[in-house]
Amino acid sequence: MNSSRSSSSDRLRAKSGEAVILFSVGGSRFAIAASAVEEIRDLSGLQKISLGMSNPRFEKVKQLLERQGRNYFVVDSCEHFRLAMTRPSRLLVLRHAAAGVVVDGIDSILELHAIQALPRAFSGEERNWYRGLALVNGKVVPVVKPEAFLSKTDVVLLQASMRSSEAAAGIGILG
Amino acid sequence: MTTLSKARDSFVLFPLGKKRFALLAEGVSELARQRLHGEDEQQTFPHTTRMLTGVIVRRNQIIPIADIAPALIGPEIPERKFYLIVNLTARGKISRAAVPVTGECELAEAERLPANGKLPPYVSGLLSVNDELVEVLDLERLMSAEVRA
Repeated sequence: MNSSRSSSSDRLRAKSGEAVILFSVGGSRFAIAASAVEEIRDLSGLQKISLGMSNPRFEKVKQLLERQGRNYFVVDSCEHFRLAMTRPSRLLVLRHAAAGVVVDGIDSILELHAIQALPRAFSGEERNWYRGLALVNGKVVPVVKPEAFLSKTDVVLLQASMRSSEAAAGIGILG
Repeated sequence: MTTLSKARDSFVLFPLGKKRFALLAEGVSELARQRLHGEDEQQTFPHTTRMLTGVIVRRNQIIPIADIAPALIGPEIPERKFYLIVNLTARGKISRAAVPVTGECELAEAERLPANGKLPPYVSGLLSVNDELVEVLDLERLMSAEVRA
């Protein structure tokens, strides 16, 4: 049998000592760059919304947060990761767009020194979900892409959908 | 299209249920014992790729676990206590996967016979070993077929 190793390009270097937030959803742990999170807060102030859009990509958006005069679309992380329903307790307000994600809890904040590329055998939606995989005390933790929850373009589409819903209903919700 | 070599190649033979299958030995790097804790412990995280059941960490490298047994023999799967660590080649790049096996593996030299048209496309040839016909698997094809299924 031959001995062989994967190419070193499969190992990505994290930005030297990149700070990440470890959070849990449905019994799984994930990491997100601390720089991608504007605020961690409780779930107060969330309003249920019904977008009435046919795009299944937005079925995971069920709530809205009004924060500092701006509306944030809130993603249900269980639906995003196709996990069973759990009891979320925290909201991560994201920095890249007017979006947030509800999670079960925050575990810790730590520094990562290396992130491994997602092995090529993974060929599903997870290629979009994750930047790569990190080892934290011997455990494999996926490092999420914040824009996979909702991209700037997604938010623009959602805002447009809200506006047209408002116009149809004659009610002003968006600020 | 199946490429045939007239020379005798080395193969790793492994049983799954009542059948044995073969992989080219040059694509197999090691046989590792499954463990419930520590290194080689199966770990999982959310994903949508069929056939992959998790990952193991081996020498600080994260290796996906490709459980090919259900695709080959159906749902009645024997207990597997070992992983065959195999090399996969995709777009000129090598990656690794851990295939759960019972551990009763055998290294054999044999001539690969052509696979006939009735066999699935992931069978790249046949070996005649002690009056037994063993299917040689093309893992990349098997896994991509599973993804499409």
